[in-house]
Amino acid sequence: MKLFVIMASLFISLWAFGQEVKTEEELQDEVIDYSSIQKVLEKDGLEKQAKLKKKIVRQIKIEKEKIREEKYNYPSAEEFWSFASELWLVKNAQELKWDVPRPDYGLRDAFRTLLEEFGYFNEKFKILVIDSPNIAHIGLPSNKGESIFILSLPFMRTLDLTKVDISLILLEDFFRIKEGMFVGNMGVDTSFIGKNFSKKDFNKQAMLNLLKSYGEVVYKKGFNFQQQYEITKKMDKVLKSRPDIWSSYLKVLRKIDHLVKNNLLYGDYSKIYPSPEMQIEWLSPKKKVL
Amino acid sequence: MMRNLLGAFSMIAMVNVTVLAPSMGLAAEKNAGRLYYQGFMGHLHKSASDSSASMTAIQCAQSVELVEKEGLSVPAGWKYGRVGEDYGYVRSKFLGEKRPECFQQKYPKFYNALNLDLADFYYWGRLSDHFIEGESLAQ
Repeated sequence: MKLFVIMASLFISLWAFGQEVKTEEELQDEVIDYSSIQKVLEKDGLEKQAKLKKKIVRQIKIEKEKIREEKYNYPSAEEFWSFASELWLVKNAQELKWDVPRPDYGLRDAFRTLLEEFGYFNEKFKILVIDSPNIAHIGLPSNKGESIFILSLPFMRTLDLTKVDISLILLEDFFRIKEGMFVGNMGVDTSFIGKNFSKKDFNKQAMLNLLKSYGEVVYKKGFNFQQQYEITKKMDKVLKSRPDIWSSYLKVLRKIDHLVKNNLLYGDYSKIYPSPEMQIEWLSPKKKVL
Repeated sequence: MMRNLLGAFSMIAMVNVTVLAPSMGLAAEKNAGRLYYQGFMGHLHKSASDSSASMTAIQCAQSVELVEKEGLSVPAGWKYGRVGEDYGYVRSKFLGEKRPECFQQKYPKFYNALNLDLADFYYWGRLSDHFIEGESLAQ
């Protein structure tokens, strides 16, 4: 007998667990067959109340369906890019060599101070130092008000960069992120972002293409001359109020120019950021023709 | 009969803990509340250092039982606690009193469809250890 009771209660709980959870209104609606007692209800003036109840149940069902569908949303554009960039970093952890002990260099304070100095407030940033020369530095697509940067430790060491030098390189990358240049250069379909896939399959291929295109931009495509010109001019305009920092920027570009021309390891730098030599040219005051 | 047996067992267990624990070197510990992990993913560290080994990976909104242990001094900026069976350290900045709204919960089907594996969880947790994070002040 005891065994029967245990088995019965087990079956009941399993059955109950598998059922969809229903609201009180939905349960009442299922139990009461209003049509069979319609006349009595009319007499008692309860039909109106029953109709109201049916309306509530209908509304609850709509809301529940809405909640179910929302679970199938792709992240919105405001939340997608930082996630995607971090996913790319995770999937390429070994190649990028970022899971290694790294020096601090006081970058947090130096870059924060530089942002504030030039009026960029409320900006969150994340800097990932990598132990690979394959990417010198780059700003990855990020959510609004956020920036994710990659910075190569061998690159910093080879150039013997100061905190201010590094912060200026990050500021360039910061402007590229703000201008949406990385995303613009990816050349993949991003129309699925912010959409819903409750009535179709998850678009795995679109995500794979997107992650692949990160590598394309970082290692091959980089940025074009027009974009580089715009960024250099932007830096020129922003830094002009502080001639000492403007001079540091010019010095950094000269250091990089010298590096890419003399160190084979960084020969591809100019393909990603064309070109330090041109940037110096764009910054230099034009000679007056008499 | 069964109840008596259980009572006897729990008495023996209690005596063992109070009498034997100090002699076995088990320091007395006290529950010091519960906090929730606020980041996307992270690690419970073996020692109070970003580069120390991971005891277990922790996800957004996962609870960490804070533990005060006799003779244990926790460095500033870190908390000592328990996640499941594991004890370790988490940076204080990643812990909060309220459950955060997590990406994983907001986009559950998208997140599950990515089929992240254990290596991905590990590295995502390590990302938060390696990122140099900052924010410029409000104007």
